[in-house]
Amino acid sequence: MLLVAGSAAQAKEHPGRAYIEKNGYDGPSSCEAQGCHPGSARKFLETVHWKHASPADNVDGTEPGREYGMKNRIYTMCNGNDLVNDLKEIPPNPKTGKTKFTGCNTCHPGNHISDVGSTGKEAENAVDCLVCHSAAYDYRLRKPFKDEAGRIVMGQDRSVKAAAAVGRPGVKNCMVCHEAAGGGVLVKRGFSFTRETDVHAANRMVCVDCHGAKDHRIPTGYDPNNWANDGVRVACADCHGEAPHKDEDTNRHTARIACQTCHIPRTGGALAKDFTKWTQGTDGFYEPTTLRMEANETAPVYAWYNRTVANTPTFIGPKGSRADKASRIHPFKMYEGKAYFDRKTGQLLSMDFAPPMATGDTLAGVASAAKTLGIREYDPVPGWQTIYFGSNHLVTKKKALSCANCHAGNGVLNFRALGYSEEETRRLTSAEIYFDKMADRQKEEW
Amino acid sequence: MKRFALASILFAVAVAAAGFIFPSAASAEEIKLIGVITEIEIAGPDATTATATLKDNKTGDLVTVIVNDDLTLDKFKDHRIVVGDEIRLKYEINDGKNVSKYFRKTAGC
Repeated sequence: MLLVAGSAAQAKEHPGRAYIEKNGYDGPSSCEAQGCHPGSARKFLETVHWKHASPADNVDGTEPGREYGMKNRIYTMCNGNDLVNDLKEIPPNPKTGKTKFTGCNTCHPGNHISDVGSTGKEAENAVDCLVCHSAAYDYRLRKPFKDEAGRIVMGQDRSVKAAAAVGRPGVKNCMVCHEAAGGGVLVKRGFSFTRETDVHAANRMVCVDCHGAKDHRIPTGYDPNNWANDGVRVACADCHGEAPHKDEDTNRHTARIACQTCHIPRTGGALAKDFTKWTQGTDGFYEPTTLRMEANETAPVYAWYNRTVANTPTFIGPKGSRADKASRIHPFKMYEGKAYFDRKTGQLLSMDFAPPMATGDTLAGVASAAKTLGIREYDPVPGWQTIYFGSNHLVTKKKALSCANCHAGNGVLNFRALGYSEEETRRLTSAEIYFDKMADRQKEEW
Repeated sequence: MKRFALASILFAVAVAAAGFIFPSAASAEEIKLIGVITEIEIAGPDATTATATLKDNKTGDLVTVIVNDDLTLDKFKDHRIVVGDEIRLKYEINDGKNVSKYFRKTAGC
């Protein structure tokens, strides 16, 4: 069942199979042959998946009109970005003499010759349609190599077999990149999308059932740390409405409590990372020292969020308050990252991973990134940054928070910290407000 | 003395019963390792089980595990996980066989 849900949906055969079998598959030009999918590749170049950036109007300190994203952002989950940590062959490890390819843009759906944000006909032809749309993609072929000219090229599976299995993206098409973000499986966002961990997956839904694209513009939520967006948004209420419960008292909560607060009671992924001290693996290469947690292994932090984002060198997270009627209480994955800051400006410095990956020399990584960015003077000093990631997956119905999970004296919500007075908190954390309802429910259930 | 004997018998019965009721609890010790895959054996696209052999990074020993979970099997089938990948592995020994409980690539982006 999982395999069915996890593969590109192929309810019926995709038209054009005979053409592909006769002529072979040559990338977007094959997809656009015979009048099919006209202009798709050109339009795709305008999306976040290709540009890794977009305007970020809801984030403090960003410049209007400028685009932000994985292409150029600096924060302590990914201390590099596409610019400073471009896909490359790292220097040989002194102990083993071995090298390897690494870079933030390894997930970019081009061929690296046509890279993040590139435009024109060559870029259109470089789009790897099948990595997202084929249920039979051979991922062995999607790895970097050096071509005859010495350029680093990202391989693609353009076989007839892969092209013949084209369809809507399945879970694995999305997760092959999204589950490995941040330096390992489930490190960054810390959610898996399986029948065991998410009620939508258990109901055989796939990512694009909620994140349904138009012209390859993918709707996203308002994760405070996920700034780049295609200008289209998705929310639970799009399907479930604002009053999805049978019980009216529960429905009243939705005005100030986000669905995720009760229905995503746990989070996971990396708890903290240290980019100033990398750990050497038995293969001789180094990785940022990372405290890993499983999906559903950690408790979220709860905060008011009005969908605007605080962005300072030491904190990236939600803005909002009880007094702000646009705010609702949301759960967040709290993360702390240690990296180098410039003592003079207080700004976070970015890192090219190639030097520290080979030798563990993190300051050499900072120096390489500074050179790429044209920063001549800086004084690196270690420091911490806290990030609140949106917690929007790992949805549960059965294990959703119930009255007492929040309103008992030892409930998960810190009402005082959320802006409630001592008297209000005393009232909100008394069994008086939920006792009769829970007693009735208990009677019904048993 | 009689009371002690009776208590001993009851204790022995309780221990035996616990072993009968929870036979796997005693044998299912979880073992962890990080190692590189040297071999994957899977019988075609419809296979519901596979074996993978890893070389333990610490000891250099080869460890072969049975993999039954759908997600990892799917990753074997479409080569998202291949020979040469470094894996974080947890496994249990059930009836003398190593059964994978956690099979994750260490590498990310």
